[in-house]
Parts: sequence; structure tokens; C-alpha cells
Amino acid sequence: MNAKRLDAVFAFLIAATGVTWFVGESGSAGPAAVSLILGLAGVKGWLVIREFMLLRHASTLWNLVVGGWLAFVLAMIATTYWKALP
Amino acid sequence: MNDTLVGTVPISATAARHPPGDLAIWVFILAELLAFGVFFAVYAIVRMGHVELFDAMQPNLDRNAGAINTVLLLAASWGVARAVAAIERGRQAISGRWLGFAILCGFGFLVVKAFEYAAKFRAGINLATNDFYMFYLSLTFFHFMHVILGLAILIGVWAKTRAGGYSAADHHGMETGAAYWHMVDLVWIILFPLVYVMR
Amino acid sequence: MQYKSQAVAKPYFVAALALFVAQILFGLVMGLQYVVGDFLFPAIPFNVARMVHTNALIVWLLMGFMGAAYYLVPEESETELHSPKLAIALFWIFLVAAGLTVVGYLTVPYATLAKMTGNDLLPTMGREFLEQPLLTKVGIVVVALAFLFNISMTILKGRKTAINTVLLIGLWGLAIMFLFSFYNPDNVVKDKFYWWWVVHLWVEGVWELILGSILAFVLIKITGVDREVIEKWLYVIITLTLVTGIIGTGHHYYWIGTPEYWQIWGSIFSALEPIPFFAMTLFAFNMVNRRRREHPNKAATLWALGTGVMSFLGAGVWGFLHTLAPVNFYTHGTQITAAHGHMAFYGAYVMVVLTIISYAMPLMRGRAANSNKAQVVEMWGFWLMTVSIVFITLFLTGAGILQVWLQRISDNPMPFMVAQEQANLFYWMREWTGVAFLVGLVVYLASFFIKGEEKATA
Repeated sequence: MNAKRLDAVFAFLIAATGVTWFVGESGSAGPAAVSLILGLAGVKGWLVIREFMLLRHASTLWNLVVGGWLAFVLAMIATTYWKALP
Repeated sequence: MNDTLVGTVPISATAARHPPGDLAIWVFILAELLAFGVFFAVYAIVRMGHVELFDAMQPNLDRNAGAINTVLLLAASWGVARAVAAIERGRQAISGRWLGFAILCGFGFLVVKAFEYAAKFRAGINLATNDFYMFYLSLTFFHFMHVILGLAILIGVWAKTRAGGYSAADHHGMETGAAYWHMVDLVWIILFPLVYVMR
Repeated sequence: MQYKSQAVAKPYFVAALALFVAQILFGLVMGLQYVVGDFLFPAIPFNVARMVHTNALIVWLLMGFMGAAYYLVPEESETELHSPKLAIALFWIFLVAAGLTVVGYLTVPYATLAKMTGNDLLPTMGREFLEQPLLTKVGIVVVALAFLFNISMTILKGRKTAINTVLLIGLWGLAIMFLFSFYNPDNVVKDKFYWWWVVHLWVEGVWELILGSILAFVLIKITGVDREVIEKWLYVIITLTLVTGIIGTGHHYYWIGTPEYWQIWGSIFSALEPIPFFAMTLFAFNMVNRRRREHPNKAATLWALGTGVMSFLGAGVWGFLHTLAPVNFYTHGTQITAAHGHMAFYGAYVMVVLTIISYAMPLMRGRAANSNKAQVVEMWGFWLMTVSIVFITLFLTGAGILQVWLQRISDNPMPFMVAQEQANLFYWMREWTGVAFLVGLVVYLASFFIKGEEKATA
């Protein structure tokens, strides 16, 4: 696999982290901000799973299991967040 | 590199195509992911019952330290991925240097975290302070221990790489160590927004 | 048998099985006392029968572990035992001490026994499972240290493998955690807190290391799978065991006066304790499926697979049932705990000791495996005992659910004894299943007396 691809993934991960940090520092709250940071966490996690852990070379089942974990955890967090909204 | 291979692999073998690294480490990684997943879920559920407390306490966390640590872990993961890419082309020296870079980033994480903890302990915060701090300390410390274990593995892999123990043909051990490290990174990617940012 | 000194394991195994019989007999006495309260009163009151039942279990499992260590360590280390004479001497000391302790329990009132054995010098008696008189406790420590010396010296001078290293760590951990039985703080919370360091960190910590290494040893022998593969799995299993087991101690700290965060810590980590057991099940089946030889000892293979399945069910699933704090709030200290205890001890520790006995005994008696006929009888014993324990567990679980419902959840909660009476039917069925277990045990023991041998075919 080529180094440029890894570099691009890394650049995206750093940029996404910057956005999450900015959301936190600006004290943003509410569904819009949370959708954004959880969505970014999902994309970042999926990139790490596919590109760094190299699950794109593994069978669909493996991708479903690890990706399913990511989706489940984020869905759980999102659901409890929404249920706790006033 | 493997993409061209896929067509030639018999169907029965594709069904069990494992990710790079030893199957045993993947069983271990799945167990770890389950443990963190349960921890995150419990955090989310308890938060639901104490939203005011969690929202009131969260601004006290050091988001800058958290963000710097995210960058350090991502950089370490990037370094590990580049090290694997290098060894696949047989570049041992380059691979070793990328691993060294990753290990430095990992230690950077520990140092930043140590300062963060020191500030909290100076403020008299401990597990019994309240539910939010209990989770903050428990979750981050559990992760902290994983960073230490991940570093120990990376240092072992680094030493073996420097001694010429891996080659383009055989770098199974490096892939195994790499997979574990990426897991430590993956978990933090969720932990940071969940505990430090989400409100 | 490759080393002569491995033979010292034999008396340990024989004594273990004899104590196993005693344990079951006292279990039956207690089981009957559940429904016929004055059975054998005042000769053997319930509390004494219970003490003998649980203490005999612990002692015979320890005997089994020591026998396993004496058998396994020379072969793994590829050297004779440091001192076979010491091993035999320790056997007699341990056996006599255990025997005298039981005689003490049965013949004099517990308070008198405490006075006679110097409990006022250093009070250690009166705590569940650690009821042993001070003298016995000191004896256990001395025997354990001498035993560890013997085993450690053997491993130090010989080959170090993952199996004997893990076993050694487990055995040292066992001895070290037992020292907390001498620590009796006046503060009741602290008292319970450290009591669990013995009880929990034994069965959900260091004993699991011993279990894992014995199972790994037998699997290497009967399957012929590469040591490298088996040792790798052993490492994964013990790491998971230690992480979940040590922090999982928190599931005993919910309601004893410890800080509230234990409810979270204990729930999360103990909920994960089934994982290493599940890994062990996969491990056992995987290795047997990948076997590279057909070992003539089919019975030992059955016991090894049985350990994988039953430890997961008993320790893993039945433990998980009531380990979460919100559930445990209702089930704490009910028959559900007893159900879990029975299947976990049988599935994990009884079965692993019987596994190594099944594998090692024929070899120590000079044959690769017992005759086909003897093995068939042994397997009958396996099925009778295993199916019986499953039903004992189910009946106790039924009794436990009923108890929780009537005594703790319903709108008009019943007093303890009234609720217990409602569960009488379950207790009767449990007692009869216990009789079936005894039959299974007798069948199992009978298999040792069937002559003949099976030649190695591999």
C-alpha cells in the first residue's frame, strides 16, 4: 500500500481532531454540535479500522464485526444523549 | 498490495480472511473493544441520569491536553502504519525510524496525561469526588494502562526491527503489534469527544 | 511417564478423590437438612456439615493442584523433581492436618475448638471458608511454602515454558493471597474487603492461571498441536483473566460499605469475566479439532472439553446472571449464588483436576491409557456427574428465582423462612439429583478398578 494514502488519512484525522477541539473550546452544546463530533468520531474510527488496521484486506465478516462495534458504541452514545435532552 | 491477490484466493479461504496480524491478538483486540464498549455505554447511561452534573463538571477538563493527546496518538498510529508499509518493501532502517517516531509520540501522550492527572489530584479530585470524575479518572486511566502496554509491545517490535528481525517476506510480528496499537488509538478517538467535548 | 519423580503425584490424586467422596457425602447431608431440618441433629448440625462440605472441596482441589504440579512440572522442565522425598513428606503432613481439622469440626463445638487451638493468640477463625483453626492455617502456609520451594527449584534448574511459568505464578499467587486469611481487622467493612482477597482472588484470579496451565498441558499431550500455538492462547487467556478477575473483585464490594464507584467498576469488569472462559472453551475445541494424533485416552479428551464448556457455563454464564449491581441488589446471597457456586466449582476446578487425573493416572500405572471398557465406565461417570450438576444448578436457580420473587420483589414480601418453605420442591429435586451425582462418582471411581490397557496407537 502506498505511503501517500496513509499520509492523506493522517492529514484528515488531524483536521477532524481540530474541528472536534474547536467545538469543545467554543463551548458548543446541543444536537447539532454533538452530531458533528460523533459523526467525525465515526469517520475517524472507520478510517483507522480500514486504513491503519488494514481491515480493507480482511473478509466482510471482520469488517462487520469491528465496524459494528464502532456503530453500536456511537449509536448508544447518541441515543442516550438524545433521550437526556430537555 | 494484496488487492491483486484477492482474485486468486479460493472462495473457502476468503470466508476466513483474517486482518493482518496474529489471530490471537485479534481475539484479544475484540475482547478489549468489548470492554471499552461496555465502559462507554455505562458512561452514556449514567450521564443520561445526571446530565446537569456532567455538564457542570466537564468544562473543568483540560480540552487542550486532550486534543494534543489525540494528535499524539494519531501520529503514533500513522508512524506505525508507515513502518509496516516500509517493511513490506523491505526497508528495515526506515521502518525502524517510523517505529521510533511512534514510540516518542506514545511517550508524549503519557507525559501530557501525567500533567493532566497531576493538576486534577492537586485540586483534590479523586474517584469518590462525584460520578463524573469517577468516570473521567477510571476511563482515562484504563486507557492510560493500555497505552503503556501498547508502548511495551511497540518497543519490543522496534528492537526486533533494528536487529533485522523483520523482512518484506516475514513481518507477521510487526503487524501483530501494529494492530494492538491501532486499537489503543481507535478507543481514544471515541473517548475524547465523549468525555471531553460532548455536552 | 518420562520422569520417575512424577510418581509422587499418585498419592495426592488418590487422597483428592477420597476427600471428594467425603465432600459429596456431607453435601447430601446438608441437602437433606434443607428439607428435613433436624436430620442428624445434634450430631452434625447444618453449619458443621456446610463447613466440612466447603473445606473438603478446597482441600481436595488443593491436593489435586499439587498432584498436577508434581506430575506436570518435571515433564515440562525436563528434569527430575528437586526432592521427591519432601513431596511425600508434605503429602502426609497435609493429609493428617486436614484429617485432624475435620475431626475437630465434627467432635467438639466450634467455640471449644477455637479455644483449644489458640485462636485468642491471633484470631483468624469464624470467617466463611476460612474457618480453619490457627494451627491448620499455619500448617497450610508451611506446606505451601515447602511445596513452592520444591516446584520452584525444579523449574529453575530445568526448562522454562509458558505452561510451567504460568502454573508457578498461579501457585505463588495462591500462597500469597492466603496470607490475608491472617488479617482480621476489627472494622467489619475492612474485614470483608480483605476476606475477598483470599476468596475471590483465588477462584477468579490465581486459580484460573493454574486451571489454564493444566488444561494447556493436557491439550498439548493429547492433541499433539504445536506448543507454540497452545502457549500463545494460554497467554491471551491469562491476560484476560487477570484484567477482568482482579478488578472484578469489585462485584463483592457493592453492599459492604465500600465507596459507590465499586458498583460501576465491579459491574463492568466482572461482566467481562466470562470472556476468558469463553476463550478457554474455543481454545479446547479448536485444539482438539486440529489434533495431529489420535490419543488412546479418549476419556481425558472428554474431560478437557468438558472443562471448557462447563467452566464457561458455570463460572461465566451463571456468574454473569447476577453480577450486575442492579440485578445483584435483588439476588445477593440467595440460592442463585449457590447455583453459580456449584456449577462454577465443578465446571472449572473439579473438572480440570479430574482431567489431569484422567490423563496422568493410567501413565503412572504404566500404560498409555486404560482399556476401552474402563474408559467407557469413566465416561459414564463423566456424564452422570455433569448432567447431575447441571440439574442441581437449574433447581437451585429455580429456588433462587422463587426466593427473590417471594422475599424481595413481591408487594407483600415473605419472611426468609416462609419463602424457603415455598421452595421445598426444588430442594427435594436438588437432593435427588445429588444422589445421582453420588452414583456418578461411584461409577467414576469404579473405572479405576477395571483391568486392561490400551496400547499407544500414535
